[in-house]
Amino acid sequence: MDFDDTPEEAAFRAEALAWLEAHAAPRDLDTTRPSMGGFGDEYVRQCQQWQRTLYDGGWAGITWPKEYGGRGGTGRQAGIFSQEQAKFDVSNGVFAVGIGMVGPTLMAHATDAQKERYLGPMLRGEEIWCQLFSEPGAGSDLAGLSTKAVRDGDEWLVNGQKVWTSGAQHSTFGILMTRTDPDAPKHEGITYFVVDMATPGIDVRPLRQITGVAHFNEVFLTDVRVPNDNVVGEPNGGWRVAVTTMAHERALIGGGVGLGFRDVLRLARSCGRTDDGRVRQALATAYGRFEVLKFLGYRVQTAASQGRPPGPESSVMKLAYSQHLAALADLVLSLEGAAGMLNGDDAPDAGQWQQHFLNQWSSRIGGGTDQIQRNVIGERVLGLPREPRVDKDVPFRAIPG
Amino acid sequence: MDFTFDDGQAAVRELAEQIFQGRATVERVKAVEAGEDRFDRELWVDLAKAELLGLCLPEAYGGSGLGLVELCLVLEQQGRVVAPVPVLATVTAAMAVAEFGTDDQQAEWLPRVARGDAVLTSALEPTADPSRLISVPWAHVADRVLVPVGGELHLLDPNGPGVRSERAIATDRSVVSHLTIDGAPTERLPGSSVQWLRDRMLVGQAATQVGVAEAALEMTATYTSNRRQFEKPLSTFQGVALKAGDAYIATEAMRVTMWQAAWRLASGLDAADAVLVAKWWAADGGQRVVHITQHLHGGMGADIDYPVHRYFLWGKQLSDSLGGASPTLARLGRVIAGATA
Ligand SMILES: Cc1cc2nc3c(=O)[nH]c(=O)nc-3n(C[C@H](O)[C@H](O)[C@H](O)COP(=O)(O)OP(=O)(O)OC[C@H]3O[C@@H](n4cnc5c(N)ncnc54)[C@H](O)[C@@H]3O)c2cc1C
Repeated sequence: MDFDDTPEEAAFRAEALAWLEAHAAPRDLDTTRPSMGGFGDEYVRQCQQWQRTLYDGGWAGITWPKEYGGRGGTGRQAGIFSQEQAKFDVSNGVFAVGIGMVGPTLMAHATDAQKERYLGPMLRGEEIWCQLFSEPGAGSDLAGLSTKAVRDGDEWLVNGQKVWTSGAQHSTFGILMTRTDPDAPKHEGITYFVVDMATPGIDVRPLRQITGVAHFNEVFLTDVRVPNDNVVGEPNGGWRVAVTTMAHERALIGGGVGLGFRDVLRLARSCGRTDDGRVRQALATAYGRFEVLKFLGYRVQTAASQGRPPGPESSVMKLAYSQHLAALADLVLSLEGAAGMLNGDDAPDAGQWQQHFLNQWSSRIGGGTDQIQRNVIGERVLGLPREPRVDKDVPFRAIPG
Repeated sequence: MDFTFDDGQAAVRELAEQIFQGRATVERVKAVEAGEDRFDRELWVDLAKAELLGLCLPEAYGGSGLGLVELCLVLEQQGRVVAPVPVLATVTAAMAVAEFGTDDQQAEWLPRVARGDAVLTSALEPTADPSRLISVPWAHVADRVLVPVGGELHLLDPNGPGVRSERAIATDRSVVSHLTIDGAPTERLPGSSVQWLRDRMLVGQAATQVGVAEAALEMTATYTSNRRQFEKPLSTFQGVALKAGDAYIATEAMRVTMWQAAWRLASGLDAADAVLVAKWWAADGGQRVVHITQHLHGGMGADIDYPVHRYFLWGKQLSDSLGGASPTLARLGRVIAGATA
């Protein structure tokens, strides 16, 4: 066991930092505008540009195999790179679904032709992806989804509605979960597709959010024709594929970078609050949580470096992270005193902290809520019996709506 | 001891409930929020007509001569519908004028407040520089602002000479103003006390917070009982029910501590610790409740077409304005254990 960089890792870190210094501006809370958790056109363009720069420099997809355009590196290296990258004023947030979730899913389940078609443009930042999973009636209970796909020759005809789809308005492709066998139990009649978002019959309507931006959408699907070649995995075998996607989603959210302890300390100092004993205690508690998250992250990276896909430890991490964000939001706003109650441009640091507060609760919901992560830990880590379920082995059709 | 309200108080509550529920619908609140001043003037007129704005002002000046307990009953109803009107700011400032003002000051302001013709407010957020008053609620529509000078309150005309005012938007989406004062004339409320007003503001905020919390929790109970996941209502999962239970306990703690403080102040009893206990519960408990109610709505809570997010924002605003949980605890510690450090 060794928590520090090995000489090779230290060399990798130095190389990464040197490259970043040559290609990006440092992040500075005084001048860097927050992205506002939104997917504005300008933000999307900046992400695309940065992703392309990464790709050209050989830093895109650090853990991706070389044959797909990646670096063929380790999970630890990816972790080191994102730590260093967090010091710079750059983002590739719009590729979270694509590169972070869809890429690894396709590598595990897709045909060679699908990998060939999608992975390259994804990694180069040319095509943005969205996740068409949740529905008005299927959030935590994702397997209860009812968007229907019916086979019609070489195509499938899709009808239904998705909701809370992040970034759909900018996406070229979506990963789409549909009900294809209503006579099978709910987890067994689901098919996972790639869908071209420009297909006729797809209607994307932005939802305005509490953060003041429209980051997610409702997506209506009416007689949408999807080629059979776009099925990922087997027809009616979509749940297994989705499990891979969701495991990567958890790891991704749990490994979130965002504000560092450095930023919080700087804020406390600039508010003149660091002599207050209560503030010092609160900072120390926050510091402790930052440390825990860092080490939990190392554990996930170690597993990834050994070629193990993300498991229940990513639920632990996601849960720790989302709770940390909530506590941190309350802390930073209380540090600011009255000024903490201002919104947007009127608030200190261009509203970064207020935005952090408005965003934090959504990390406790998206990617499986805190309760769902706890259930995963209870069942898969502690081996507790499952919650009694009435819906497991009955045909989907037979479940009362 | 008697924890029940008398008939007059019950009637005040019922009237307030009727007006706020009838007027401040979700659609209406949304429309006002989209406007420039974010002030529901129609509702304001209705409150005046129903004699709720003069409720705690002397009868000699067009008021009903009631007190802080009755005001808190009104504020609780306002919090339930998160209605954008300056009841708390105006009525507590008018109460200070009634308590300390000269006959002329009372005659000038109290009848106008009771009729709904004047908006008053106060600038009580701590500030390092007395010529710069930050985040003054409702100053953008106010006729007078009570500003601290020494330990006393003075009346300041925010639209008069020597005052520069910048608008800002607060967490709860209301408009606040930063006032920079340079040689503006003010009028002293003789013998007044900033602390006197602050105590009433804090208790009034706590009453509003009780309304916010209880309504958000009712909304959550309804939502989680109707929404089904895994073929069951969400509320039947213990992970949901236990959180709702915790929120209920916090709400009741907020309620009893708020009434204790309101009653002590209204009865002229020493209330230094009671006010801080109420404020602490409003801040810490209130914040916990709205985190829970927001969370139990899942993704629905993020969409601003659905109203629960406003309770989240109001809860946070009420929690952190005029000092949040942690500074309150420090002050309470000094009150009950004596000042040492
Ligand atoms: C910012 C944001 C972005 C999102 N982006 C996407 C996206 O790009 N694509 C996509 O497909 N989806 C997306 N989602 C949707 C997200 O996946 C769902 O919101 C989430 O799965 C929860 O579902 P729900 O909102 O229906 O909440 P519900 O499932 O209705 O849950 C409501 C509450 O009940 C609790 N609960 C539910 N089941 C249980 C249980 N068994 N035991 C105890 N408590 C329980 C939950 O924890 C929650 O507090 C996004 C959501 C947010 C907030």
